[in-house]
Amino acid sequence: MTHEPVNILMVDDQPGKLLSYEAILNLLGENLLKANSGREALEILLKTDVAVVLMDVSMPDIDGFQLADMIREHPRFQKTAIIFISAVHLSDLDRLKGYERGAVDYLSVPVVPELLRAKVTIFAELYRKTQELERLNHELERRVAERTEELRESESQFRSLANSIPQLAWMAYPDGHVYWFNQRWYDYTGTTLDELKGLESISQVHPDFMETVSRKFQHSMATGEAWEDTFPLRGKDGSHRWFLSRALPIHDVNGNIVRWFGTNTDITDRKQAEEALVKSERFAAMGRLAGIIAHEINNPLEAITNAFYLLRDHPSLDQEARYFSKLAEEELRRVAHITKQTLSFYRESQQPVAVSLADVLDNVLELQSRRLQVNGIALDKNINTNGVIHGYPGELKQVFLNIIGNAVQAMPNGGRLRIDLRDSWGRSNGDYGVRVSVHDTGVGIEPEHAKKIFEPFFSTKDAKGTGLGLWISKGIIQKYGGTIRFRSMRRGERRATCFSVFIPTAISAAPKDGSQVLVA
Amino acid sequence: MTQGRPVILCVDDEPNALTLRKLVLQKAGYEVITASSGRQALELAQSRPIDLLLSDQLMPGMTGTQLAKEIKIIAPKTRIVLISGVNEMPPDANIADAFLSKVEGPDALCNVVASALSN
Repeated sequence: MTHEPVNILMVDDQPGKLLSYEAILNLLGENLLKANSGREALEILLKTDVAVVLMDVSMPDIDGFQLADMIREHPRFQKTAIIFISAVHLSDLDRLKGYERGAVDYLSVPVVPELLRAKVTIFAELYRKTQELERLNHELERRVAERTEELRESESQFRSLANSIPQLAWMAYPDGHVYWFNQRWYDYTGTTLDELKGLESISQVHPDFMETVSRKFQHSMATGEAWEDTFPLRGKDGSHRWFLSRALPIHDVNGNIVRWFGTNTDITDRKQAEEALVKSERFAAMGRLAGIIAHEINNPLEAITNAFYLLRDHPSLDQEARYFSKLAEEELRRVAHITKQTLSFYRESQQPVAVSLADVLDNVLELQSRRLQVNGIALDKNINTNGVIHGYPGELKQVFLNIIGNAVQAMPNGGRLRIDLRDSWGRSNGDYGVRVSVHDTGVGIEPEHAKKIFEPFFSTKDAKGTGLGLWISKGIIQKYGGTIRFRSMRRGERRATCFSVFIPTAISAAPKDGSQVLVA
Repeated sequence: MTQGRPVILCVDDEPNALTLRKLVLQKAGYEVITASSGRQALELAQSRPIDLLLSDQLMPGMTGTQLAKEIKIIAPKTRIVLISGVNEMPPDANIADAFLSKVEGPDALCNVVASALSN
């Protein structure tokens, strides 16, 4: 076996003995160093690394024990192996005990060569092993330091990457508790890690989505399946934006999940664009359909109306036939009225445009101004917003002409008409939008009529109404994703009715409470 | 303006509607000539003077507004009334003196025509 030779220091005041040790130990293939005195031995020790010191106990000047004490005092040599060579005296054995802790041995004279070689070999090997261990240990420490530096670097790279992506990002423990968020999360939510640490839930999730978000997230945490969900998150200004949220498990070498890495991507603009597209396509399709039906009905309707108009005064008809003709003409007028209401909104444009509900209401009130005056109705108008929505002015005008017209008709003997327009939240889904409220102090709505007023052909106005006004209005408002509701109250002689129309303008919303959902 | 009764050129691709509309206008005291297409209407307008063009808007071949533009070239003083079953205002409807829905009925038709002629 080849090995790196180590230094063996032999100390004896008699050169002959040194020569004999050298002869014995030469076979080992180590470096043999010779010293004739304790002083010389110390000089060599200070200059070189020595594996084993072989020394004669009885030397002039510094004897073996003194030399051993001096060697041991030096920190570098505390573990250096020492073999004493001595004629054994009892007193010497006692002194040797003092060195028991270190690697110390002794040989009695006369020296048996095999014994000396064996003892030196053991210590030389021990030294080599120790050196090797130290080297390995050193290497290990170096690699740990290197790796730590690499980790620190990769951690810092990860952080700057995580902070530069447009998404909100976070990391969670395998149980779903988030322990780290990127800067964008803090910027968007206005929170701090201290506020969020240890929380069972993330309160930024829109309350309407908490339950499903929580359920799906917990499912992923339990199964290790990637998590994906779409829901609104509340920003620091209180408004919500839609995010596509994803989380992937990160596994260790054994396949155990050590953490989750999650992102939230803002998809509000995309979602709004998609919704606007769907909406405008639906508008366009309905417009085309209405156009086709209007054409197919209105053309023959005009011909029949003209035919009866001509027939009415025809000289060949007797009194009775003329009467029938007149009845037919009246009925045709009803048909014309209905097709006009349902199919022929005078639409200014094919494409939906930005419509100000404030303008629409002004327009309708202008049309009603004479009737307000004649009936003695006081008008109270509270316009708090322009109420701009995307749609067709004509049909919106029709809706409010219907509702306000009804309110005016409900007050033949005067009263108060109050119109409110304000930005608002939808009650059912929290959408952002505009709300128009029309209050009147008219005859009110009979409780038994309440369920029917939005049904087609329901009318309390006998021959005057088509019974389609509110039905059509509701259809139009629903097309905008909005709602139309009413309340009618009676207290003694006093009555009040309020119609409330909500039209969404945006999809995000602010929840009223800060209730939390378990997502992290 | 032509001598005597005003002359109306009435255009529609649907024969029944055209005949009945003509009769209503005749009853109101107008002289009415009819055409079942824009092309035929243009030929008539070139052969004799007319006071007012009453044309359907949506017709195969040529729309009411297209016909109105051609007529205005031949006889710039001709009054134009467009009538339509689809109550969609065409983009260049301002060429017409009036735009009327077919469901407005004969009385409204006569009023609009009279008013267009008197302006």
